[in-house]
Amino acid sequence: MSEQQVYEPRVVAFLCKWCSSAGSDLAGVSRIQYPANATPITVPCTGAISPMYIMSAFNKGADGVLVSGCHIGDCHYIEGNYLARRKMQLIMELLEFIGVEPNRFRMSWVSAAEGAKFAQVITDFVNDLKPLGPQEKLKKAEHS
Amino acid sequence: MINVQDIRDTARDLLAKGEVRAVIGYRRGSRGMLAEPAFITSPEQADELVWDPTCFHNLSLYLVHDRKFLDHIRKNPGAPVAIIAKGCDARSIVVLLQEHYFKREDVYIIGVSCEGTGVLDERKLAPHLNGAQASNAAFDGDDFVFTTAEGEKRLQAREVMADRCLECRIPFPKEHNAVFGEDKAGRQMEAPFAALTRFEEQGSGERWDFWSHHFDRCIRCFACRSVCPMCYCDECVVDSITFPVTTETTAEDKANRVRWIERSAVRSENITYLMTRAMHLAGRCTDCGECERACPVNVPIRLLNNKMEREAREQFGFEPGASIGGPSLVASFLDSDPGDFIR
Amino acid sequence: MEKILNKKHIDDWIAALDSWDILGPVLEDGIWAYQPVSGAVRLDHPNTRQSPKGLAFPQREIFFKFEQIKGEAPRLTQVVPDEQRHAVFGVRPCDGRGVPRMDLVFTDHVEDNYYQARRKNVAYVGLACNKPPGPNCFCLSVGGSPVSTDGLDVQMTDLGDRYFVKAVTETGKGLMTAAGKLFAEPSAADQKQVEQVHADAVAHPQRAVRNVEAVPAKLKASFKSPLWQELARACIGCGICTFLCPTCHCFDINDEVQSKAPLKGIRVRTWDNCQFPDFTMHSSGHNPRENTGARLRQRVAHKFQYFPENFGMPQCTGCGRCVSECPVGIDIVAVVNKVVENAG
Repeated sequence: MSEQQVYEPRVVAFLCKWCSSAGSDLAGVSRIQYPANATPITVPCTGAISPMYIMSAFNKGADGVLVSGCHIGDCHYIEGNYLARRKMQLIMELLEFIGVEPNRFRMSWVSAAEGAKFAQVITDFVNDLKPLGPQEKLKKAEHS
Repeated sequence: MINVQDIRDTARDLLAKGEVRAVIGYRRGSRGMLAEPAFITSPEQADELVWDPTCFHNLSLYLVHDRKFLDHIRKNPGAPVAIIAKGCDARSIVVLLQEHYFKREDVYIIGVSCEGTGVLDERKLAPHLNGAQASNAAFDGDDFVFTTAEGEKRLQAREVMADRCLECRIPFPKEHNAVFGEDKAGRQMEAPFAALTRFEEQGSGERWDFWSHHFDRCIRCFACRSVCPMCYCDECVVDSITFPVTTETTAEDKANRVRWIERSAVRSENITYLMTRAMHLAGRCTDCGECERACPVNVPIRLLNNKMEREAREQFGFEPGASIGGPSLVASFLDSDPGDFIR
Repeated sequence: MEKILNKKHIDDWIAALDSWDILGPVLEDGIWAYQPVSGAVRLDHPNTRQSPKGLAFPQREIFFKFEQIKGEAPRLTQVVPDEQRHAVFGVRPCDGRGVPRMDLVFTDHVEDNYYQARRKNVAYVGLACNKPPGPNCFCLSVGGSPVSTDGLDVQMTDLGDRYFVKAVTETGKGLMTAAGKLFAEPSAADQKQVEQVHADAVAHPQRAVRNVEAVPAKLKASFKSPLWQELARACIGCGICTFLCPTCHCFDINDEVQSKAPLKGIRVRTWDNCQFPDFTMHSSGHNPRENTGARLRQRVAHKFQYFPENFGMPQCTGCGRCVSECPVGIDIVAVVNKVVENAG
C-alpha cells in the first residue's frame, strides 16, 4: 500500500446548529455511509463564523475546511447565511490569492432534511482533498 | 496648484476663532526633507504647517488616538478637531464616521487634493539621488522638486510616486469642510489595481512562492497595524492582554486557552496575522498605503488589501469610504451576491 | 595583527573559512540584510535594515519542549542552540559596539545560557565607515566612532582596491590565519593611508546628541516632564525602533501549546517591545506606562540614563535606525536634545 492511499485528509467542518448540524445527525441516524474524516464544530449560525476560525483551523493542521449552513432564505436568524456568503467568498478568494489550493476550502448549504446531501458533500470534499495531500502551507510547524 | 499659505491661513483662522480645538497637519521634521505629523493648538503655530510630497501620513489615525487614549476627549469632545486630509485619508475618515467612531461635527476636514500627482515613495527616490540626501521636497505641477547639497533635482512625479498614487482613482477628498486644489479625477497614471493585476497573472505556485517568502520575512513589529486608522480594536486578536496569568492559573488553564496567534514570528503565525488583518480591512481599507510604507522589511501588504478592495468592488459593487450613511461591506448583503461557489 | 587584503581575494578568504557559516550584507526585497553567503561577498552596503543582534539573540529562541501524558509527570527536553560557528562580514562599528552592551545585559547578574551558547560561536568582522552610511548616523556623539573596533573580532577598512584588515581578538586572528597566504604585510604607505582614511572618517560631520555625559542627570530630572507626552504625540506604538535596534534586548517568554491531548508544546522566548501598549499591562488591567509619552521616556531613558547608571556607558550606539525608520518621525537625537534643553 503506498503512502498516498493511506493518507486520510482531516476536515474541520463548521456546521450551523439549525440546518447542517441537524443534517449531519440525519445522515448518522439514517446510517448513510460517508467518510469519517470530518471533525464537526457546531456554531449557532454560519454568519457567526469569523474568517479567523478558518485561518485558525488551517493553522492547527486542517487539510480542508468546510463551512455549511442553511439554504438561502432558511436562516434561523433571517440573514446570517447571506452575511456568511459574502465573508466566506472573501476569505476563499484571499486563500486562493496567496496560493492555497482552492479545493482546501468549501462551503455548502445543507438543510436538516438533507442527510444524504451532507454525506455527499463530505464524500466529495474528501475525494477532492485526497490528491492534494497534507496541507503544510498554513500549518504550524512542529517544534520549529 | 496648492499654496501652502492658504492652508496655514485656514488653520490660523479656525484656531483664532476657537472653531476647532486643534489642527492635525504636517510640519517639517528633524530628518532631512521628511514631513511629520503636527498637532497645533494656537494660531501662531499655523506657520509651521507644510504641504509637500512627503506628507504621506494618513492623519485620521490621530482622530482615532484622541478617542481611544484621551478620556476627556471621549467624554467631552468639545470643539471639533481640524485635520488635513488627502483623498484616501478623507475616505478613511468617512469609514470611521460610517462606523460611528466619532460624529461628523467632531471633525473639521481640511481637504487637500493630490491634483496631478500624489505622495513620494522614498524607496523609488534613492536611486535618482545617487547617495545625496534631499533637504526639501516640493510639488511643482507634474514634477517633484528636491533640494540637495548639489543643487536642485527635478523629477517627473510619476517616476517616484507611490504605487497607490499612480493607481489612485479618486485623488480628491470629496468629504470636506474646506478644500484646496482641483479635483482631477481621471488623471490616474496606471490602471486601477495595476500592480495587483500584474501579480495575479502568475500561477498559484508562483503566488505561493512569493507569499511564503514574504510571510517568512515579517518581524511582527505590528507597524502595519499601528499605523492603520482602521486597526482601532481595543484588543487585537494577536495580543495576549486578555489572558491574565495569576498564581491560580494552572498549566491546564493555560493550555486550554484560545490563542489564535502565537508570539513567534514564524510563517504560520505571520500568515494568520496578516490574513486576518486583510479580512478585517475588507471594505474598510481606503488604500492610503501607510501599512506598506511603514513596514521596515518591505512586506507587500498593500497587495492583500488591494485584493480585498477589488473583490468587494467587482463581486459586490462596494466602494470603501464612499458614503457616511452607507452600509459596511461585511455587515450587509445583496440578494444578488454570488453564490455559485456554494455546493 | 594588521594585514592588507586585495579586494579580489575576499571571496578566497571566505572560501578558506570552511568550518564557519558566513553571513554578509545582501540587498533583497529592497533592504540590506545579513544573509548566508557562499562565494561572493560585497561590502559596499550602507548599514543593514536590521542589526546583527539576532545572531546571538534571535527573535525566537526555543528553550525546551514539554510533553505530558495524563497521570504522568511532565517531560521536559531542553533545546540547545547548535554549535555551528557564524562569521558575519560587514558589521558597522555602531553594531559592533552593540555587542559588548548585549554581553553585559546577558552576563551581568545572570548568565543567560542560550545567549552565551550562540554568542561564543559568532565572530563579527567589521567594516569601518569611511563616511557615514546613513543620514542619521550619530555614533561620535555617544562615545563611538566610525572606526571603532569595540565588539568586533576583525576590523576591515576600505582602501580602494584593497582592505586594511586588523585582528582585534584572538578569534579574529584565527579567521585571518586560516587564509594567511592571501594577506600581505602593510607597507608604510598603507599604514599612512589607513590613518588618513580613519582621520577623515572621524572628521565627517554627523548628527549629534549634545553633551552625552550630562544627559543622565537631565533625564532623571525630567521624569515627570509633560514634554514626553508632547514628543510622543505622533507615536503609533509599533515595534520598529526596538526591533531594529542593535541593543534593545527585552523579551517575552510564552508556552506555545501544539497539542492538548496529550499535552505537548514548546517554551519560547521572543523579542518584546517597550513601545507595545501591552508590554507593561498588568493582569488587573492597570498599565503603569499608560501612554505613548511614558513608553517613549522608557526607551530613551533606558538608553541614556538607566544603562549609563548601571554600566557606565550609554546603551545607544548611534546607528540611527530608529530615527530613519520611524514611520512618524520620532527622532531620538532630537528627543534627547529637546528634553535636555528643557531641563535647563
